[in-house]
Amino acid sequence: MNTLAWVGRKVGGALVVLWLVASAIFIAIRLIPGDPAEAIMGGPGSQASAQALAAARAEYALDQPVITQYLLYLGKLATFDFGTSYSLKQPVTQVMGEVLPNTLWLSLMALAAAWLLALCFSALAMRAGRIGSQVGNLLEIIAAAVPHFWLGAVLIMLFSSALGWLPAVDNGTGHGLVLPILTLALPLAGFLTQLMRDSLSEAMGSQFALAARARGESRLKLFWRHGLRHAALPALSLTGWAFSSLLSGAVVVEAIFARPGLGRSLLSAVLARDIPMVTGIALFSALVYIVVMAISEGIERMINPAGESR
Amino acid sequence: MVIPLAHRGKSLLMQRNSRSSRILAGAFALPLIGALLASCSSAGSTGSSTQDAKPVTGGTMVYASGDAEPSCLDPHVGGNYPQALVASQFLESLFTKDSEGKIIPWLAEKTEVSEDGLTRTITLHDGIKFTDGTKLTAEAIKKNIEHLKDPNTASSTGYLAVGKVVRVEVKDELTATLKLSSPDNALLESLSMPWTAIESPKALERDQATNCTSPVGTGPFKVASWEHQKAVNLVRNDDYVLPVPNDQRANSTSYLDGITWRFIPEAATRYAALQSGEVDVIDNAQPDTIASAADAGLGHLDAPRPGSANRIELNSSKAPFNDQKVREAFIRAVDANTGVGALFFGTAKRSYSLLSSVEPLGYSDEALFGTDTAKANTLLDEAGWSERDAQGYRTKNGKRLSVRFPVSTNQSVPAEQSLFEQFQAQAKAVGFEVKIDLLDLSSWYGALAKHEYNLVSAPYTKVGPSVLRVLYHSDSTVPAPSGYFANNAQVKNDKLDKLLVQAEETEDEAQRASLYEQAQKIVLEGYYVLPLYDQQNHFLYGKNVHGVGATTAVSSPIYFDTFLDQ
Repeated sequence: MNTLAWVGRKVGGALVVLWLVASAIFIAIRLIPGDPAEAIMGGPGSQASAQALAAARAEYALDQPVITQYLLYLGKLATFDFGTSYSLKQPVTQVMGEVLPNTLWLSLMALAAAWLLALCFSALAMRAGRIGSQVGNLLEIIAAAVPHFWLGAVLIMLFSSALGWLPAVDNGTGHGLVLPILTLALPLAGFLTQLMRDSLSEAMGSQFALAARARGESRLKLFWRHGLRHAALPALSLTGWAFSSLLSGAVVVEAIFARPGLGRSLLSAVLARDIPMVTGIALFSALVYIVVMAISEGIERMINPAGESR
Repeated sequence: MVIPLAHRGKSLLMQRNSRSSRILAGAFALPLIGALLASCSSAGSTGSSTQDAKPVTGGTMVYASGDAEPSCLDPHVGGNYPQALVASQFLESLFTKDSEGKIIPWLAEKTEVSEDGLTRTITLHDGIKFTDGTKLTAEAIKKNIEHLKDPNTASSTGYLAVGKVVRVEVKDELTATLKLSSPDNALLESLSMPWTAIESPKALERDQATNCTSPVGTGPFKVASWEHQKAVNLVRNDDYVLPVPNDQRANSTSYLDGITWRFIPEAATRYAALQSGEVDVIDNAQPDTIASAADAGLGHLDAPRPGSANRIELNSSKAPFNDQKVREAFIRAVDANTGVGALFFGTAKRSYSLLSSVEPLGYSDEALFGTDTAKANTLLDEAGWSERDAQGYRTKNGKRLSVRFPVSTNQSVPAEQSLFEQFQAQAKAVGFEVKIDLLDLSSWYGALAKHEYNLVSAPYTKVGPSVLRVLYHSDSTVPAPSGYFANNAQVKNDKLDKLLVQAEETEDEAQRASLYEQAQKIVLEGYYVLPLYDQQNHFLYGKNVHGVGATTAVSSPIYFDTFLDQ
């Protein structure tokens, strides 16, 4: 298959996925209890008059049949019109644009930190003895398994309340980024190290490693030059997935550390039944996922064109 | 009725000085005026050498709110407590409350009501300006009431508060007359709340989205900017005029240069940030942190909200709580005192009243609420719930004695949720099955609107005893178009309705008190409600913060007197 056809297939597939996601969101939102008109007129428990509610329904086409609403909704999405936030009364794209850089920056930093930590863990594991390696293995599994909200709370208690080294909330100095990044990066680092561990030991025990050792290369040099190259491939191909998982982790981390961002917007939008906002963020996340996956697949294609089978 | 203002400041000042400063800071939220006038002598802050702290001008205070960030800073729109907390810094009301709970003029200079009670005249202080330069005139009163009544504003709280005002006429530059549909002795209380605060009429002419981001008032601070999800930046109003003159702080402006108003939803993060000095004041302080804050030498302000107490209401419109015996049985079965004491670490005082302890007309009757499981069992037997099923729950005609209890995770803090779980276990002992559902706010309102509840805890903040009419008049069982109704206990009692209407219309203070007492007795003795404690409203502040204590009529603090160690 040539590259053009491949790109065409990817774009077509992406459109289908986006349509499915948009439809799923449309259905899901109508299944949650709560009147959208009420959300528009000041949220739950509002005492808006019947006229005000009717006006809101008309303005947002909520008085139309569901199928009409669905088609209107798809039509607007097709023209990149995400509508106006019910609670903030601002265009959804504008609100998302304001907070998006925060979330992207946090996720990218966390991704970089996770890779850095994973490399350090792996290097350490190479040098550690049998018991050290077992302990490391256990720690990695624990790190990979802890939920973000628990880890965030523990890090705050330790580094902010008890030791006073790092601020719990961002105070503009940049130090406030450390704990949120760690909270996101540690579980991912544990996961990446686990992935690298098997292929790493395989590589280090292989014929070429043995030969290199015989030539007199140190273990560490061998690790950097040969082992890592081999071991990093499976982890690299999962980086696309990892980045998307960081975006979802941002919902929790942004709430715990009181950081502005897409995750926090999503949380408050869900609670306020702010349908346009929820739709916009969910669709955007789906889009990011598709794009990142396509990119990582593209890179794989470039590195290993022979492996092309699809 | 005319309220003269002369010398009021002085008498309040004397009263304030007779109190110890420690009590002021630790236990009482001093309503606005008393604290304002007293601010220079000494401002309290538990745990530090506050007695001698001299006010210093300068510095920006960082405030961390645990509430969801409001979608609009104008408390006319919607109208909830988080809006009131922040708006209290930049908007002021026509009236306020003194330290004894009496309503007194604030932006208003004086007021009187006609013989028939249908015309209320309000005269404003001269020489007060909004922060956009507009002068405060009678026209502002007219424009603000119209703004509240305009359906496009989507006001809930303020809209109800001015419900009896038919129209406003401008008599002269500083005098407005309010025409009422029926006499309303709660009007001044209603006009003391931040949800009816007076905004610049010029600013109100802007579109709502703009007014929401930068409402313009007469308060000691003004909104400089609002960075969504990050902070509302407030700066000092350099032209602030204290409406009620005061020897020490006449025409003075706030000590603080400004306030950075942040939103930190996680209670643990908020407290950690206070401990490390990243923020200066936090709200929504939880019972466990209040207890440990005292050890850490942090300041604590306990400012119970006015209106209703926190209480569980029993839905009397359907089985099984349509039977008074079953209602009393539930209330007698649970042991609130032990639970409140243990789960709130002594920070919440048990209430036996429908009304907040800050309401002077609240009526309390402890004897009605003593725990008595033997009596609970007898009452249930008498009511016909005499059989037990395999799980030990009582049954009647093969139906289990089962009640639904939707709990809002937004309104009930973790300690309260634990308390309800204790009640669940205690009620089980006498044969009740209590099904607790933890719900987000929208789902919770949805469950109430569909009558899918037998028990519910839904506090209501309002100044004055007229909240009783909102909560227990049969009219309040009729849902608003959104499905909302305030009378969750579904009390429908003609005698009670009459008392509540009469109490609101009488001009005689003693008669008003007597009518409200009779009304409260009917509700309490009918076992419609299990009172728990005041609506908790705790603030913690750092050792470097002084002069915290002044509040509005709804117990939202004002940081006009506050200063920071430099």
